[in-house]
Amino acid sequence: MTVIGSRVTWLDTWMIEARNITKTFAARGGGILPGEVVTALRGVSISVPDSSALALIGESGCGKTTLGRILCGLEPYDGGDLVFDGVSMNGLSPKERNAQFRRIQIIHQDPYAALNPVRTVGKTLTDPLKLRAKQIGRSASWVDERVHELLGLVGLDPEEVLSKYPHNLSGGQRQRVVVARALTVDPDILVADEAVSMIDVSLRLGILKLLNDLRARLGIAIVFITHDVAAGRYAAQGGSMAVIYRGEIFEYGTIDDVIQFPVNPYTQSLLSAVPVLTGLEQPGPDRFTPKQAMDTDRTESGCLFHGRCPFATDTCRVEHPELLPMDGTKRLSRCHYSTTRRVVARPIQAGGGVTTP
Amino acid sequence: MREVALDIPAGEVTAIIGESGSGKTTLAMAMLNAVQPPGRIVSGSVKYGKVGDILAMDGRQLRLVRGDHVSMMFQTAQNSLNPLKRVGSQVLDLARSHGRKDTKAVLREASDLCAQMSLNADRVLTSYQHELSGGMRQRVGIMLALVLQPAVVLLDEPTTALDVLSQSEVLQILRNLQRARRFSAVLITHDMGVVAELADRVAVMYAGQVVERGRTQQVLIDPMHPYTRALIASIPRLTGDPAEARALPGLPPALTTIPRQGCVFRARCSYHPSIADTEVPVLQDMGDGHWVACHLAGHLDDRST
Repeated sequence: MTVIGSRVTWLDTWMIEARNITKTFAARGGGILPGEVVTALRGVSISVPDSSALALIGESGCGKTTLGRILCGLEPYDGGDLVFDGVSMNGLSPKERNAQFRRIQIIHQDPYAALNPVRTVGKTLTDPLKLRAKQIGRSASWVDERVHELLGLVGLDPEEVLSKYPHNLSGGQRQRVVVARALTVDPDILVADEAVSMIDVSLRLGILKLLNDLRARLGIAIVFITHDVAAGRYAAQGGSMAVIYRGEIFEYGTIDDVIQFPVNPYTQSLLSAVPVLTGLEQPGPDRFTPKQAMDTDRTESGCLFHGRCPFATDTCRVEHPELLPMDGTKRLSRCHYSTTRRVVARPIQAGGGVTTP
Repeated sequence: MREVALDIPAGEVTAIIGESGSGKTTLAMAMLNAVQPPGRIVSGSVKYGKVGDILAMDGRQLRLVRGDHVSMMFQTAQNSLNPLKRVGSQVLDLARSHGRKDTKAVLREASDLCAQMSLNADRVLTSYQHELSGGMRQRVGIMLALVLQPAVVLLDEPTTALDVLSQSEVLQILRNLQRARRFSAVLITHDMGVVAELADRVAVMYAGQVVERGRTQQVLIDPMHPYTRALIASIPRLTGDPAEARALPGLPPALTTIPRQGCVFRARCSYHPSIADTEVPVLQDMGDGHWVACHLAGHLDDRST
């Protein structure tokens, strides 16, 4: 995205670009009045360069998973456009579109549900690779080679896991198999939706590093969807971060900038809520709690966050803020009063001092 | 689980941290004498201050102890709520089944607790569980666990199912309630951040054993077991160089792969002295209530990895 004055234009080329995506769901059952619609996305634009990464951060219900599914072609969108490598999805026939969506693969949260329990790891990988071999004109021996190559790439020992069923594997190993399977079709982009939240803590970092490594080694772009800002930071190192709330992007910028110098009160509340490792870390000086942690406020007027924002004014209750660039930076923020607050904990050095990044 | 010994000091929060399969939940169930078959408690005892050993009790006595003296709050509160009954009537059931004559007082206590958690008591007590949001249900779970004013509360992953903002608020609620009421709490979690925010003490479990325990600050600042060290080093943080974080090698052991002899952690240990192949390290006091089960306890820094 290129920022010129106060306008955001789309001059550069991107691996994937979502322009002004909107999506509503018709509510069904559950005591909600019939005909009511739930707005999942209210005009979301993101872009991910070649072999770069984007972390989509937000609470449950913010629309981040819907956006991920739309990027993968698993969900239609109501308005806006998706552009892969300069090709607009809107103009394509369903068949052409499907061919494009092959380039985007999704890694789901639950590696237990994502694998067929009656298929060995070998079979899970061989079947899609056979199809792939046909597509790109390779021989049967290539399939075997490729299975070994892919398993090695995701950090599994082929001899050890090939004949195993999912139930013989740990959560971390299963997630690696899921990643390997996604790689069978040579995707350009991986969308990982809460890919480590069901994995044992001691194994999470390994998966985050794997995703990060794939960018460097295969040139794959990563969209990492999570509510865990720290996990997003590790999976999308050096990439950008988009903070989503109720279907709108509230802040957008490079990961380290957004975490260290957040300008939007919603981003700041999310970062303030991350537990502090007391003793190893010192809370950020501006750390605060939002007025209501519970997301019961469904107000549609003004800023969508004003009911929970401790800094809200009368303007915020009436006027809907736009996502605008901060002066002289590449940061975008949706707030009438964007201002930097230091809310993230800082590590305490062995000597007792605090480092300032 | 093998020979786990743990003291829960009165009026403090003691955390049990471990990965899935480390035995942390089994330990909590054992504390309630509620281990599900085919699991069983082969030996040992669970003693509560005034009540005595609950492993020796029969069903009727147990039912009274649970709730009155020790209660449990689960990871997903909806599992402990009856979907067909309003929250208030579940509070009354609880009061009656524990022989509380003054059910009004129990209800009053329930509204008090709701108010302290900034819940609208009238609304919550007349609601069914599906009418409440996740964060609210979790608070109702806290309320039900505390309403009979037990001396000990077991909190099983109280915030794991919550979003980061709700988690932060529930932690704050638990901290405030615990300080105000001075109950003893056992916090079961896999999240070092939650431990740091809430617990006075922590016991680190690995493969059914306590490998390190001490005051939370001691363990966080000066972890002495290689597993605790590696675990802390592997936490994704918001500051510092991501490249410095180290993933733990290997896999956590499953029930069938726990080594029968020697140290349970040795396969993933970057130190791995040869004695660990044969000898089980025992928990030893490293001073100031900091206990570690490692052959190299106190000497990790002398050795290169």
